[in-house]
Amino acid sequence: MLRFLIKRLLFAVPTLLAVLTVVFVVARIMPGDPAQVIMGDQASAEAIQALRARLGLDRPLWVQYFEFMGGALTGNWGSSMVTGRAVLGEVLNVLPFTIELTFVSVLVGAIIGVPLGVWSALHRNDTIDYVTRIGSLLGLSFPAFVMAIMLLLVFAIQLRWLPVISSGGDGSLADRAKHLVLPAANLGIIMAAYITRVTRSSMLEVLGEDYIRTAHAKGVPSMAVVWRHSLRNALIPVVTVVGLYLGILIGNSVLTEIVFNRPGLGKLIVGALTQRDYTMLQGLMVVYTFIIVVTNLLTDLTYGFIDPRVKYQ
Amino acid sequence: MAEAPVLSVQGLTTEFRIGGQWHAAVRDMDFQLARNETLALVGESGCGKSITALSIMGLIPKAAGRVARGRIEFEGRNLPDLDDLEMRKLRGDRIAMIFQEPMTSLNPVLTIGFQVAEVLRYHRDISASEAREKALAILEEVKIPSARQRLDDYPHQFSGGMRQRVMIAMALACQPQVLLADEPTTALDVTIQAQVLVLLAELKQRFGMSMIFISHNLGVVATIADRVAVMYAGEIVETAPVGELFDRPTHPYTEALMRSIPRVDRTSAELFAIPGQVPPISRMPQGCRYAPRCGLKQAICEQQSPPLEPLQGTATHFARCWVRAGGAA
Repeated sequence: MLRFLIKRLLFAVPTLLAVLTVVFVVARIMPGDPAQVIMGDQASAEAIQALRARLGLDRPLWVQYFEFMGGALTGNWGSSMVTGRAVLGEVLNVLPFTIELTFVSVLVGAIIGVPLGVWSALHRNDTIDYVTRIGSLLGLSFPAFVMAIMLLLVFAIQLRWLPVISSGGDGSLADRAKHLVLPAANLGIIMAAYITRVTRSSMLEVLGEDYIRTAHAKGVPSMAVVWRHSLRNALIPVVTVVGLYLGILIGNSVLTEIVFNRPGLGKLIVGALTQRDYTMLQGLMVVYTFIIVVTNLLTDLTYGFIDPRVKYQ
Repeated sequence: MAEAPVLSVQGLTTEFRIGGQWHAAVRDMDFQLARNETLALVGESGCGKSITALSIMGLIPKAAGRVARGRIEFEGRNLPDLDDLEMRKLRGDRIAMIFQEPMTSLNPVLTIGFQVAEVLRYHRDISASEAREKALAILEEVKIPSARQRLDDYPHQFSGGMRQRVMIAMALACQPQVLLADEPTTALDVTIQAQVLVLLAELKQRFGMSMIFISHNLGVVATIADRVAVMYAGEIVETAPVGELFDRPTHPYTEALMRSIPRVDRTSAELFAIPGQVPPISRMPQGCRYAPRCGLKQAICEQQSPPLEPLQGTATHFARCWVRAGGAA
């Protein structure tokens, strides 16, 4: 088990290196010069040149590359080209917000999605099933930002139950929770839609398995057949999907964070992109890659919990 | 028959809905199972053997099928009249069933110990640890080697033969009156097959069970059954004590089945096969269901369905044939 963990983490190293390289190259290929963007259209050529020198952009690419790679691996991620603040510090500042949002969204998605999927599967082709399926299709097809705006309109502006801007406040736990409700509901509903669909189809498959017939033949009550005999088997594909969609969720969180004006990695990356903040962008990419690697690892570990046939070696 | 039968099936008709219409997969089944008797249901795939067993168990999927007519009498009750709860209490306790595929019939995420103990937990008022001890005893009974160490193993850690033993252990945990064995050895190697058959026969004796043994393998049937019912297209076409049936196969279908057994003691390289196919259940012939494939077919065979009648001079050998079993001929 421990060996498996170490091995998997070591495998992540080449992945990280490759991503870093791609990020470095793409950032330089992108049209637009950070110095130009920072100084604005009116800046003189000399001033821009001076800034380029200060940012180290005038040096040969390969020097920049090795400096960047070395820094990235030793934790020295440089400072933002725009604000001058340390990239690592900025990232660590907002990371808890993103983790909090993602975690709660997945939780909401699972709590709604799994029972709904099971219920839908048990009532296959009944009204309940159709309503659930249409509902989850809606949840999937609705753009995250549209739903976010609708949630804001209803719960924050009409009903005034929750704050419009999902940041700030006094930082107490209750306050943080209050600010989390709408963004987490937004992403959680999308997640729930995915999970409902996967749980339903996976459940339908499992309910047709021979061992479910065996359970009935043994006289196991139907509730126990569903929750003990079926669900655990049905959860295996659900875990895969949750793992995969965590990536999408992080992508969706960009839009959610912007609409709700909430600090987080998404907001940071959009800012860095528009301002050609190379160092910030690179740092964020490392974090994203790392998150994906860790997510995959967690997914693999979860398989082992659910399915005794999975062996780690 | 001196003693009352343990299980009595009369006029059982099980139907499935295909394209909005109900079609009988099993029609007018009549048979009785005596105490300690093994009745073999024989026939090719799709002839209704398994459907018969599932009908007795009350496990016909409700969405697509139903027991349309007939009585299944067991312990003084008519099973199709029972509600879901009563049926559930019966299943696994008084009537148990084992299935063909040991590889897929056990739940992959639950331990063997749990799966066997579970039967006892739902049917007997005992604690978890008592159930576990009993599960261990029954696993030893079906000769799982070092059963105590294996209680917490999962199905994938067992071989096919061992898994079928576990299935048998689950079925026998509550000492049922009737065991329905649906091709329990078909998926196993020949040597393992023999072991499982011996085990089943032994346990049947010990527990005083009656058994319905479903198979398409006449060789297996000859070794384990007391009586045989040959099924074709959802009907019993011939039934007789096992020796009598093998000595004097009467229905043309039974005869053809016997001829299509590969023999190692004959030099002929050619394997006999029955020409034609079983008609689909939505397009059953009007008269005898075997008539389209039968070499002895006469005019009446295609017009009227023959009854299952006793052969002359016997009280135990029945056949459903105009030509061979008296009737109109």
